[in-house]
Amino acid sequence: MTAAVMPLAAGELAAFGKDPWWIILIKAVAITVFLLVFTIFNVWFERRVVARMQHRVGPNVHGKFGLLQSLADGIKLSLKETIKPKGVDTILYVLAPIISAAMAFVAFSVIPLGPEVSIFGHRTPLQLTDLPVGVLFVLAAASLGIYGIVLGGWSSGSTYPLLGGLRSSAQMISYEVAMGLALVAVFLYSGSMSTSEIVGAQAGGSAVDIFGVTLQLPSWYGVVLLPSFLIYMIAMVGETNRAPFDLPEAEGELVAGFMTEYSSMKYLLFFLAEYVNMVTVSALATTMFLGGWRAPWPISLWAGANEGWWPLLWFLGKVLVFLFVFIWLRGTLPRMRYDQFMRLGWKILIPVALVWTVFVATARATLSAGYQRQFFFGIGAVVIVVLLLSFVYDAVAARREKAEEVEREEADQVEFDPFAGGYPVPPMPGQKVPGLEPAAVAVAAASAGAGSADSSGGAGAEGAGQQADSGEERGRG
Amino acid sequence: MSTVRVLFVLLGAVAVGSALLVVTTRQIVHAALWLVVTLGALAGCFLLLTAEFVAWVQVLIYVGAVVVLLLFALMLTRAPTRPDPAARTPNAWFAAVVAAAVAGVLVTTLVAGFSGAVIDLDRAEIGGARVTGGAVFSTWVLPFEVLSVLLLAALVGAIVLSRRDVPNRPRDAEAARDTEPARDADDRERSSS
Amino acid sequence: MTSILLAQEFKSPTIEYAKVAPLLIVFGVAIVSVIAEAFLPRRFRYPTQVVLSLGSLAAALVVTVGLAGSKLLAAEGAIAIDGFTLFLWGTILVMSIISVLLLAERAVDGGVTAFAAQAAALPGTEAEREAQARRLEQTEVFPLFLFAVGGMLLFPAANDLLTMFVALEVLSLPLYLLCGLARRRRLLSQEAAMKYFLLGAFASAFFLYGMAMLYGFAGTISFSGIAAAIGAKTGVDGLLLAGTALVAVGLLFKIGAAPFHMWTPDVYQGAPTAITAFMAACTKIAAFGALLRLFYVALGAARWDWQPMIWVVAILTLGVGSVLALTQSDIKRMLAYSSIAHAGFLLIGFVGVRDHISANTSAILFYLAAYGFATIGAFAVVTLVRDASGEATHLSRWVGLGKRSPIVASVMALFLLAFAGIPLTSGFMGKWAVFSAAWQGGAWPLVVIGVVASVVAAFFYVRVIVLMFFSEPAAEGPTVAVPSVFTSVAVAVGVAATVVLGLMPEPLLQLAARAAQLVG
Repeated sequence: MTAAVMPLAAGELAAFGKDPWWIILIKAVAITVFLLVFTIFNVWFERRVVARMQHRVGPNVHGKFGLLQSLADGIKLSLKETIKPKGVDTILYVLAPIISAAMAFVAFSVIPLGPEVSIFGHRTPLQLTDLPVGVLFVLAAASLGIYGIVLGGWSSGSTYPLLGGLRSSAQMISYEVAMGLALVAVFLYSGSMSTSEIVGAQAGGSAVDIFGVTLQLPSWYGVVLLPSFLIYMIAMVGETNRAPFDLPEAEGELVAGFMTEYSSMKYLLFFLAEYVNMVTVSALATTMFLGGWRAPWPISLWAGANEGWWPLLWFLGKVLVFLFVFIWLRGTLPRMRYDQFMRLGWKILIPVALVWTVFVATARATLSAGYQRQFFFGIGAVVIVVLLLSFVYDAVAARREKAEEVEREEADQVEFDPFAGGYPVPPMPGQKVPGLEPAAVAVAAASAGAGSADSSGGAGAEGAGQQADSGEERGRG
Repeated sequence: MSTVRVLFVLLGAVAVGSALLVVTTRQIVHAALWLVVTLGALAGCFLLLTAEFVAWVQVLIYVGAVVVLLLFALMLTRAPTRPDPAARTPNAWFAAVVAAAVAGVLVTTLVAGFSGAVIDLDRAEIGGARVTGGAVFSTWVLPFEVLSVLLLAALVGAIVLSRRDVPNRPRDAEAARDTEPARDADDRERSSS
Repeated sequence: MTSILLAQEFKSPTIEYAKVAPLLIVFGVAIVSVIAEAFLPRRFRYPTQVVLSLGSLAAALVVTVGLAGSKLLAAEGAIAIDGFTLFLWGTILVMSIISVLLLAERAVDGGVTAFAAQAAALPGTEAEREAQARRLEQTEVFPLFLFAVGGMLLFPAANDLLTMFVALEVLSLPLYLLCGLARRRRLLSQEAAMKYFLLGAFASAFFLYGMAMLYGFAGTISFSGIAAAIGAKTGVDGLLLAGTALVAVGLLFKIGAAPFHMWTPDVYQGAPTAITAFMAACTKIAAFGALLRLFYVALGAARWDWQPMIWVVAILTLGVGSVLALTQSDIKRMLAYSSIAHAGFLLIGFVGVRDHISANTSAILFYLAAYGFATIGAFAVVTLVRDASGEATHLSRWVGLGKRSPIVASVMALFLLAFAGIPLTSGFMGKWAVFSAAWQGGAWPLVVIGVVASVVAAFFYVRVIVLMFFSEPAAEGPTVAVPSVFTSVAVAVGVAATVVLGLMPEPLLQLAARAAQLVG
């Protein structure tokens, strides 16, 4: 491990970099095993929860509650025949899934799983290592993971993987920006970029003095910095390519995206990377926003809650909540269209994150300099101005809408031309089809009959087919 | 030699070696990837000099964003999975001489200017977030802020050069409405004549 | 809390906001106009942008005038605000205001600006025709222009190499873009932008290498630090020499001095003429300011090392500018070579220095102002002589212009006479000041060469005048467009300045003499 030989700047993170090699080894192996087992569990968990949401049972045959199902699936997947298409760039083709999976694991090494514990009589923090810029390390590892996807897509030498890879990496880069910006507010608040110090900073809430009334702020940054938390939550779903942002794997458009040409073990690695990434971003969210391994409120009343091995439990519980949210989203929301998704990232998340960051910085600067009164008056003024502007905007928009409505009504007065542009076109809502009523009724009757009777002929069947198509289209959108 | 020193030399060798491969490989995508290795090795060097912040920002920005965008550009234009014969140029020797000269001059600069300069890794914090932030936001605050203006200008320029206000096909409602009356008038003319 | 602890450790920088206000105004309004571009409906953009640009530049000019007499290092020593800086700021701002007027001109080209309707549409495509037909305008040119002006203000004020480099980039990047946005002859314009960009990037790289070497030599990049190191260190002159040479390449490129002038004719010809005017005047002013500050303040003690190099460059520049201008058949290219020749005259004043820099500095300041007014005016006149395909820049089209439009031709003749340095024009006073300063500085051979070059140059200026007045106009010659008040004002200011500075140069000369003090 680099951290062991790397000279740390003096005075920071004194608890780290002192472990003997065997403890480091134990920790590394433990994290790897933990992530592997968690992935297997996660697949099962996802299938069970989604099944529950869809009023099914889900896997329930192998092992208790079907717990061994995903293990069996994994073994089967890895034992499948390896197919390597012609014309691939062999080295990169093999390297891509490895990069993807490795980076997913590496990022976890700076996540604090618990406080200092004793392993075979040796006091050590429950965390592989930490850096003064630990969170940047996680982000850097995530950005390296993108290479797995880009290269996987390109080295396959095939169109769909290439497009899928580009699409997915564009997605990850875009959402990485929003994610990083969401974290800036946490850095500002905690005054540190090291994961363990951020957890430490969430131990107790700070007090704020508003017009003489002292308010105790909650200690979790997820509450204090709620907008950051929400932005991070959205960005982390985008970053991990999960539903509703699972565009790289939009089957209807791209087959299986960058994984199309992969099979067997290599496919498994991509699969593993996705699930480990889910755990990693969840763990980072826990660390940054939910107090890390610290016990949540009612439990934290118990004095021993934050000592020994107990915190590992709280940590796992919080991570599981995030994983449940991932699955919940997948069970609930349809996939977004790519342009909608990009618009959300660039036009909403990033600007909001920027404004929020500036706000937090201003708040920190003015409050710590003792300008409480000015600060709150300033906020009040801004709110009032925004409200006024929104009234103005509403008035203008209402007038414009009215004008548009009038215009639309005028446009409706124009007679409907069923062959505008030389092709038959359907009428817009409110438009009448002159002289075509009998024919339209006949077609409608024919397509209605198509479902019940086979005898209605070609036209009816075609109509039904079109209906099905458009239904699918809507589902995808 | 201490571990740090050995590692530093190794990373330096990796950086130089992969940089050479960047310019000698005939596969254009591979060249970009060797660049990743170069930048990564440099980040490693920064790490060994306790400049953690600089190191990870280097990975995050250069490896994670700049080269990925480079790859995008390559893959969206032409990036065959086979070696590109056009990647060889007869000017290579000239370029090599120029590069060697430039490298020589820079090495001379370093040796002449900084040979014997020692950084005490145990005491000084040079590339950490705090020191970097302190330098950027105090001594260099004006150039730093002006740089952000430069980036803004570049963004505006990129948008100017790429944004299309006129769609290629008149598909929006406004365009349709524009063409409608004209056709009507045509029809009327035809029917009246 | 840790962060409060941090706040105590961190010493926040002192920025003399009042003193750097001109910079802040220009950059701030540039950002505001980007926002305006994003949110305003299309029909409001052009008037808003014109008002914003003119207003910010005028405000900055007023503040600059109010700063007269300041002498300090501001913003943690990043910029030097002294008489020299303020004089250049004033000059650049005045020239920029005139340039905005040219940029905003809509009357001469059928009610639209001279910039591409839509830069993204390929030349000759349906999309381009449609954009033209819809009378679209790219009003983003105004914020880009303001960014460039901001860079130009920072460039001669920069007091360390890093700030200077950043300023160089800030002024260059928008110009690369603006060069490629001509409405007419777009391929030529795009080629110009491409050439300018590639060569400019190359020159920036040279500057950066030079910076690295000077840093290696001095261990600092502040000008005073470098000056101190030159006095203290001996034996590492190689680094100093190489660094000086490379930094000089970067700056001489911007000035358009030979042998780094190759881009000038193509870019001046291809760029929209308003931008050419802006570049010819303001870039030259800013770059000469930076050159003077760097070489006088930081490298002044090493004068004996760089003077021979600049001598060679000055002679080459004079030769190339004067001789090649003779062979040009396009008025914009001819003016480009003329600008190269003027760079040569300015270099004579710059290099002919012995002990006291103030005479040379004030001469150059005066020359820059005089040349700037005349050159913007000349390019403004070029925008007016048009035919169906846009500006008629070929010299054969200018034949007999004096018969067709005596006023425009006379104005052009005045500017050309000023370029030639005929007495009673500003150009004569400028040349006189520069040559006498160089003579006193001991560079008499250069002065002799300069005088010869002026004679050669006068020949091609006079040739154009002869063409305009003493030939019969062609049957289907170009027409002279009737400009709006914008271009009229620009030309009028140019004429007025050229005449006034020719007849009564004393006030400006005195101002330049007072301004010729550099802190560092």
